[in-house]
Amino acid sequence: MNANSTTFRFAGLVFLFQILAAAVLLFGLGALLRSQSRDAAISRAETMRTDLLESYQFGGAEALGQAVDGRLMAGGSRGAVLFLADARGKPIAGNLRQVPPRLAPSRGYTLLKVARTDHVMPEAMFLRVGRLTGGELFVTGTIVESERKVLAQLERASLAALALSIVFAGFAAFVSTRLITDRLRATVATLRNVRGGDLSQRVPRDGTRDAFGLLGSEVNATLDRVETLNAELKIATDTLAHDLKSPLTRMKSALDRLGRTVREPEALASVDQALAESERLMAMIETALSITRAEAGLGRESFERTNLTEMLATIVEIYAPMVEDEGRMITLNASSAVIVPIHRQLMDQAIGNLIDNAIKYGAGAITLSVRNVEGGVLIAVADEGPGIPPERHAQALARFQRLDDARGGWGAGLGLSLVQAVARLHSGTMELRDHAPGLEVAIVLGGQADPAA
Amino acid sequence: MTQKILLIEDDTTTADFIANGLEEEGFLTDRAANGRDGLFLATDGTYCCIVLDRMLPGLDGMAVLAALRGAGIATPVIILSALGSPEDRIKGLTSGADDYLTKPFAFAELLARIRLIVRRGTAAPAVQTVLRCDDLEMDLLSRRVQRGGRQIDLQPREYRLLEFLLRHVDQVVTRTILLEGVWDYHFDPGTNVIDVHLSRLRKKIDEGQARPLLHTVRGAGYRIGAQP
Repeated sequence: MNANSTTFRFAGLVFLFQILAAAVLLFGLGALLRSQSRDAAISRAETMRTDLLESYQFGGAEALGQAVDGRLMAGGSRGAVLFLADARGKPIAGNLRQVPPRLAPSRGYTLLKVARTDHVMPEAMFLRVGRLTGGELFVTGTIVESERKVLAQLERASLAALALSIVFAGFAAFVSTRLITDRLRATVATLRNVRGGDLSQRVPRDGTRDAFGLLGSEVNATLDRVETLNAELKIATDTLAHDLKSPLTRMKSALDRLGRTVREPEALASVDQALAESERLMAMIETALSITRAEAGLGRESFERTNLTEMLATIVEIYAPMVEDEGRMITLNASSAVIVPIHRQLMDQAIGNLIDNAIKYGAGAITLSVRNVEGGVLIAVADEGPGIPPERHAQALARFQRLDDARGGWGAGLGLSLVQAVARLHSGTMELRDHAPGLEVAIVLGGQADPAA
Repeated sequence: MTQKILLIEDDTTTADFIANGLEEEGFLTDRAANGRDGLFLATDGTYCCIVLDRMLPGLDGMAVLAALRGAGIATPVIILSALGSPEDRIKGLTSGADDYLTKPFAFAELLARIRLIVRRGTAAPAVQTVLRCDDLEMDLLSRRVQRGGRQIDLQPREYRLLEFLLRHVDQVVTRTILLEGVWDYHFDPGTNVIDVHLSRLRKKIDEGQARPLLHTVRGAGYRIGAQP
């Protein structure tokens, strides 16, 4: 999936917000609990300190020492840490062995791991040391070991939950994108079928009035319009063809009659020329109509399973004498029978057009070929003329029309348009290839060919 | 016996043109300007061929055809139509028509097709093994061709072309009839493709002969026969 695709971005966004929400919840809660436990511990220690310092004011170090011991002996102050030492650091009273070396005198509390006098294991505690007016060092604090343990456990649990939430977030992202693509699948499939020529396809209604439902109904409304326009166009072209044909018929009839009555050779030549031109005009109308119909996907019902090898052999036979008269050759290059369902008459016409072009604009031998290729069947007409350089193939496809206009004739443009329309009708494409030397025009049919029968 | 042809066509100009042409060629024509009249006349059953326009006021051409065939009338029918798409053509032929001609057409083309159909209807020949035209002979079993006792070597495509011509001796066959009849090819290449075939065949058959057999019919096509 492309990182720029909206689906990918959407999935990424869902993922990111899921993770963010989980992280804020877990770490936020941890931080809150931590700060609460710290505040409680400090306030307890400070209350003790204020109480005890009163004894110091009244009775000095000795009274404070007794008060400390008394406080520690009494049951009500579990978790309390108290320590009094003289100016040189010699212990006077309390449940520490010494002033912890890492503890500097300050007004704030520091979290340290220190072992009490009657304990082996160091415990986490908030401590504050201050020098009293007589030079003694007085340490107060609260043990927070058990809270620390709970918090550490909470932290581990948070990390595990976060890891889990990454999985959940990934899943949520996956599900939400699948939801979108699933909702769009019917629309996409419908449009694909319409592009394939089935204009009657519509997006199934799902009754929801969300963005996807709206998109579906808009697509359907557009397709309704396209279908109407297409039907109108078809009626218009059919009518036009019919309307054009009637006067053309009368014109040809008149010329025909004239041709059978006049005897002057000069008049006869003119009549013949006019007849030939009217026939050409007729052929152009027919070709244009064929293109319109093929482009609209009309005619698929006439597909017949046809042996392309036999069909091309027949075409070679028909064209051979004329090509040979020009001092050139036309051959078929096919190893086995290739049988595919095709519109026989349109394919005949398309290949005929390609041969006409090879005769008019190409040179040397003309080779027809048919073979199975990756994912389909390839029918090609190649010549040995100057060809078209590969880098100009795409340009040439678009330019055939104008190239043809420049010649003041018709054939290649309309002819190739027909080849392209016929290829598309068969779910295929028209391609220009280098024949080294010469040009190869290929019709690549998408349908899988039967194994040689 | 004069052969009668029924022409069902609403366009007066086209109908005049066809009727005049057919009468010049010795046919008798009855005309109907709409499907209902046409069907009424057709049930008479004495016609050797019906030329039926597809788009008619009242009863449409295809409906007339269906009614005829439904009534068991087997008179050959040639459909004339401005609808030239392969689908229309196939639909016409599968609905019981014997031939289908797209407008505009050359009169010679219609005439040739009428003659082909009429001949087919009257003379249903027994299985032939030898086709003849004057001193030209084609043995269908040994696939040998000779003229006046002289063996003629033909390529397979020339053989098939000549066979088709010999099966229609003294009839005019157009280029499109040849493309359809010999190769089952329903697209007119529009070039002189067929002319080249014929000129090659003519070289092999008629060169050095006092009496040419293969004739070009101006504005129509070709004819094989002893008469010039």
